[in-house]
Amino acid sequence: MSIRALARLRLTRGLAAVRLAARGGARYATNAPRLFAAAGDQREQLRNDLALRTAEDVAATLGTMKGVLMKLGQMASYVDDGLAPPVRRTLSRLQDSVPPMTADLAAEMITEELGGPPDQVFDTWDPEPIAAASIGQVHRAITKDGRAVAVKVQYPGIARTIAADLGNVALLRSLLRVAAPSQDVNGLIEELRERITEELDYLREADSQRMFAAYFDGHPTITVPKIVDELSTARVITSELAAGARWAELLTWPQAEKDLAAETIYRFTFRSLYEMHAFNGDPHPGNYLFRPGGQVTFLDFGLVKFFTPDELKPLVHMVRYLCVDNDPAAFRTSMEDADFLTAGAPISTDQVIEHMALFYDTVRTPGTRTMTPGYASAVARRYFDFRNPLAPYARIPKSYVILQRINLGMFALLGDLAATADWRAIAEEIWPFVQAPPSTAMGEAETAWRARRPPSQEP
Amino acid sequence: MTAEVFPAAGLIERAAAAFAASVPQRQADDGFFGPGSVTWRLTADLSAPVAGLRSLMVQALHPLAMAGVDQHSDWRADPAGRLASTSAYLVTITYGDRAAARRAADRVRKIHERVRGTDPVTGRPYAAGDPDLLVWVHAGLVDSVLAAADLFGTPVSAADKDRYVAEMTVAAELVGVPAGRAPASAADLAGYLAGIQPELTRSQTAAESTEYLLALRGLDEDIADIWRQIAGAAIASLPPWALDLYGWAPAKLTAAYREEVRQVLGVLDVLYLGEPGVLEARQRIELRMRQAG
Repeated sequence: MSIRALARLRLTRGLAAVRLAARGGARYATNAPRLFAAAGDQREQLRNDLALRTAEDVAATLGTMKGVLMKLGQMASYVDDGLAPPVRRTLSRLQDSVPPMTADLAAEMITEELGGPPDQVFDTWDPEPIAAASIGQVHRAITKDGRAVAVKVQYPGIARTIAADLGNVALLRSLLRVAAPSQDVNGLIEELRERITEELDYLREADSQRMFAAYFDGHPTITVPKIVDELSTARVITSELAAGARWAELLTWPQAEKDLAAETIYRFTFRSLYEMHAFNGDPHPGNYLFRPGGQVTFLDFGLVKFFTPDELKPLVHMVRYLCVDNDPAAFRTSMEDADFLTAGAPISTDQVIEHMALFYDTVRTPGTRTMTPGYASAVARRYFDFRNPLAPYARIPKSYVILQRINLGMFALLGDLAATADWRAIAEEIWPFVQAPPSTAMGEAETAWRARRPPSQEP
Repeated sequence: MTAEVFPAAGLIERAAAAFAASVPQRQADDGFFGPGSVTWRLTADLSAPVAGLRSLMVQALHPLAMAGVDQHSDWRADPAGRLASTSAYLVTITYGDRAAARRAADRVRKIHERVRGTDPVTGRPYAAGDPDLLVWVHAGLVDSVLAAADLFGTPVSAADKDRYVAEMTVAAELVGVPAGRAPASAADLAGYLAGIQPELTRSQTAAESTEYLLALRGLDEDIADIWRQIAGAAIASLPPWALDLYGWAPAKLTAAYREEVRQVLGVLDVLYLGEPGVLEARQRIELRMRQAG
């Protein structure tokens, strides 16, 4: 082998890496239940026995692309079109292999970030984490002034580790070229790097959460925990402790409760999008807490995308021309304006409509509809169908990558709830070009809330 | 898919299965090294795949060792099987209890008894059980594990290098190296490798075997690219004298390149971890190491 061949070896960045990751993920799925082989207490014991003791442990566990692969797995549900859904899910499950920090290491982080050990900074500190965040963990505490709070503590050194791995653009490119062949890979990398970098920055996450908390303040069914400013830094976020049932428990509630929870999630998603021009890109079942009556607490604002008015405009136009004005030509033009579709593509507008209509199926016509897992997967399949006549001319510009979450993430959640509502009627309340009167009891309450809000709170 | 047509198919799966099966579920004792040893740490290091390839390339430079492998082993027909069984052996003597390690070493000694002949290159007779050859193979491994860890894995302090070389003399003795013959410190090892230079040569067989190994055919498509990068890293990690013999120019081991290799090793590790039993086996090792403090 010549030295030139060696140089080529060193520079080779094939597609293999992602397939590897995907395969690793797939196998992980079968492995995952045995990951911490024992159940319950024993599993917890094992996790604690293997807890991360030092920044070196963190680097060994999450360095060398592992943390990035984990994040890619989590984000894959909106960037990925090559991996089967189980692979996407299991890649994100990679994070199950990450044990928590030891109480000492978490305390060190608190000391470094908040200027004193947890038992001095807080009135009460629970050294047992209550939840894992992919790059940190959550502890319960009570502040000096008596507020119950959740304290998210980032793993030490993780930002530097992940930043270094994100710097390997060549490797990322080969990962994504497989994961998302139809998309602009360079744009995607930029988007991914931005998103991951943002997620590592707790200051930004706290800002996003503050903005959502302020906007939805007083909302009849939506709760966003308030940030405790003086106890939040770039690597620690302290917010009000929220109570409620987890997703798995919601699934056991009566259908009427599930319908209400779904309505709240739906209103939250589209109010955020159309009014705050913001989209929380992480509709993961673990990010919600539920109480009866459709009360939902939204956690985790690490993946918020803000849209400029110019970015939002074509989306508004598309839904309007397709669902309200029934103007296929204008719909197509909006798609072209947003660069979703190559202008002058040799396909008929009928074909465009036929292909795209599925995405708007729940809001094209009035009437009660039940979301189903079947619909959610049909949307995903349509999305990833490269044999359709549109495929050669269609793309997802970078700014809209995260919006795929609406189709793939939210519809999947609502499908799992088998949620029934007149989604068109709810959408009409929210669509800025319609602003219809309330169509449900929750809509009535929301209208009253909006009337109460001081005008200054409108963005 | 037969081994003949796709000799390297299933490389990762088989190596992983061998690893998972060789880390004991329960053990009579802590084996010959123990959870506090440097050997335990280095055998499971991220850099192990590079160390393995490097040591095969180094070992091939001794014509008698090469002849023994070439004339008595079917490794070309089933390289994945051979790599998996070598890996299983190292894992067993490292993490297994003493009885398991002795059984594994005895099997190797038995095989070695049949490996004798005449080297076509030098015309010299050889026997795999010859302590000189055993020390050579041993030194190639120990030097490669340290070099690979230094470049691409967890850094090893000078004191731990000495400890590792000293600990590993036990492994040499297990397969028949008389006590006192294997290098017992990093300086010893360096001295031994300097002294043996006149005996080394890149035979035609060594060149072909190395070529075969580096460009392993029949690898699963998704492994092939990773393998090429690991192979590049193994070449880059060779000592100057080995590069010289192979006729390769030394590569620049920049920090950026080393980081790239680590990242590729990390992706490989994710795949490896996804294989059944690997994570559990790692956890067993990690728990015992932690209990040892």
